[in-house]
Amino acid sequence: MNAIDDRKTPPPIDELTRRGTSKRGSGVSVAAAVALAVVLLLVGFGGGYALEKSYGGSTTSSASSVAITETGSTLIAPVMSLWGPNYTALHPNVAVSVGFTGSGTGISSAESGTVDIGGTDAYLTPATAAQYNLINVPVAISAQLVFYNLPGLNQVHLNLNGTVVAMIYGGAITTWNNPLIQAANPGVKLPDQTIIPLHRSDGSGDTFMFSSFCYLSWKGWPNGYGTTVKWLASSPGYNGNGGMVSGLQNTQYGIAYIGISYETEALGYGLGYAALGDNLANANGTNPANYILPSATNISQDANLGLLNLDPPSVAVSLILGGVPGATNLQLGAGGTNPSVADPTPYPIVNLEYLLISTHPANPSHQRYVVEFIQWILSYGNEPGKQLSAVSFLPLTPTVVGYDMEALQQVPVSS
Amino acid sequence: MEDQGTRPALGEEPPVVGSGNAPAPPGRVPPNPFSRRSILRALTSPVGWIPGIFLASIVVVLMLSSHFQNFGLGFFGPVWNPNPTDPSVATYGILYFVIGSALTAGFALVLAMLLSLAIAISLVVFLPSPASRILTSLTDLLAGIPSVVYGIWGYVILAPYFSKQLDPALSHYLGWLPGFAASPTEYAGGTGLLLAIFILTIMVVPLTTALLRESLRAIPREQVESGLALGATRWEVLRRVQLPWARRSIPSAVLLGFGRAVGETVAVFMVIGNEVKLPTSLFSGSSTMATLLVGQFDSAFEYPDLLHALVEVALLLLAISLVVNLLGLRYFGSGRMAHVGAGA
Repeated sequence: MNAIDDRKTPPPIDELTRRGTSKRGSGVSVAAAVALAVVLLLVGFGGGYALEKSYGGSTTSSASSVAITETGSTLIAPVMSLWGPNYTALHPNVAVSVGFTGSGTGISSAESGTVDIGGTDAYLTPATAAQYNLINVPVAISAQLVFYNLPGLNQVHLNLNGTVVAMIYGGAITTWNNPLIQAANPGVKLPDQTIIPLHRSDGSGDTFMFSSFCYLSWKGWPNGYGTTVKWLASSPGYNGNGGMVSGLQNTQYGIAYIGISYETEALGYGLGYAALGDNLANANGTNPANYILPSATNISQDANLGLLNLDPPSVAVSLILGGVPGATNLQLGAGGTNPSVADPTPYPIVNLEYLLISTHPANPSHQRYVVEFIQWILSYGNEPGKQLSAVSFLPLTPTVVGYDMEALQQVPVSS
Repeated sequence: MEDQGTRPALGEEPPVVGSGNAPAPPGRVPPNPFSRRSILRALTSPVGWIPGIFLASIVVVLMLSSHFQNFGLGFFGPVWNPNPTDPSVATYGILYFVIGSALTAGFALVLAMLLSLAIAISLVVFLPSPASRILTSLTDLLAGIPSVVYGIWGYVILAPYFSKQLDPALSHYLGWLPGFAASPTEYAGGTGLLLAIFILTIMVVPLTTALLRESLRAIPREQVESGLALGATRWEVLRRVQLPWARRSIPSAVLLGFGRAVGETVAVFMVIGNEVKLPTSLFSGSSTMATLLVGQFDSAFEYPDLLHALVEVALLLLAISLVVNLLGLRYFGSGRMAHVGAGA
């Protein structure tokens, strides 16, 4: 009752003064807000200026300063954020801006020419690349791991081949103790539990690689491959690799495909990852040939496959070794099929990370800086154990670097 | 905020702040084209059109990129399959996303209305003034938290709890109720309809509470006092005088709250589970139109059909939120509490 009365009985005079003050107050607060905004702007620009100075050191010749723009894959962006400033430290007149936008945006921005460099996990097919005058320049090797959350079995690397994984995600295998899984894992006590396959709900290069793996591994795979595909109705979707890791941690009896950049994080949560069957293991598991762990050696070997096995050699290839029975299958953007795999222990889901740059630059003198930056990435930026290992990528093989350097010769530059 | 909370309720005809201080009676002095008022008007009136121009350009751009004829009525079907490998078998049906939007926004709205009615009554009628002021500010502050923060909180803190404690318990004890029976596979992970509804409810409550609270505050003091003077108890005054008065703000609270809930994207995306299916229980993963957009837009640049389909979804979402918000504001304006609306 008091509460009501207090609030409901203002004398009119009080009301007037109150309004007066509140109006003056609002004038003051508007002024304060404007002042704050001005201060923030000054601090922002000033801070940027100070950073510029501290990075640039002697960058007083702002006339010759060059801004290289990159956008795209969120997998490439972290290492790009290392490469950029490190390059600027050596070449103070060149600044690199990095966008965490996703491979789709990287491709479309490179196609429209709004950026100098488009970063993508998925190669551009040779036809599309030619249409937009772009080239695929691989700059690092990544791989994908199949993780699972099986209480008591996470320390064991279960043997799974491509067919089994595809049948799980395609709904043909629904429980962990399915005979096909059991046959590949003799002696392992598999639980009689429903498998929960997790997928990426955002458009992602990881989905591209994984759906390619399923597509090439099982003839019954229904939904094609790409950065977004249809999944089982009972497959929960998570956002980003980080989301997949924590989602799987919350999901007992789940399975998830996760980029190698997140291996450490996933292991930290106590999740287990599979040894993936190479292309020789067939659907009924009777010939389990090799189950390959994603070690650095097993992954790096794959990077050369497209250059060694294709005619003409190409890097526009997903290094996906599908397990369709009886066939050795590289997925080829270049259109070839069934090359011989000289690699003795190829891990079956390996990917190159690409930068897309134009071969018909509007401004060749600017493009010179872009090419020099990428050449630096291919040499110093690819030193083992340095910048790449911070994001769990592997350095390119000399074969791929040689190919890249040659490809960059196609780009017209002028000084 | 503070001003809103403490401003005394005015009488039947509150002077509208802003027009009450109009200068000199009109008609006597010819308007001076260089008066501060004229200059201000010249400067501000074109700027006033800017929001309208933005809205119009968004609608026009979406309409121009619309290819509805590509989809036809199948667009409201159940199968969403943007098959990138073989576009000839790709189908774009948004039924399950519409259902997901309706379920999350609908349930969240019902819960939020009940909750905010209780909060508003306690703030205006029962709590002593200082406590009411503080709690009013706190409720309003909830509205200012960025939605991604709700999403992270839901995902990091609540999802494990839902998955391991709440969902199994609810399913076990309330399994006889429709919607609560579920297999452990359904609530594995903790994300799903229930968590999305929970997060959305918390996000809608500040808005609906502010609307109901201000309408309760706007009740003429005489009505309350005469009720009390007639010997009615506080409960009777609340039930017979205050609630009927507040009732007229309920439609606008419902509509504006629904607009907020149905358009909410990031937080829902993080906690709803993103499964594309007809939900079989409250714990099912689901998807909404807004989460579909945010999830697949990046890929859409590569597949023209997917882009066109997402543009249709965006148009639909835009139409829903425009209609709901316009109606809500209309109801709101027709109530007598227009002068207290700024706090919402």
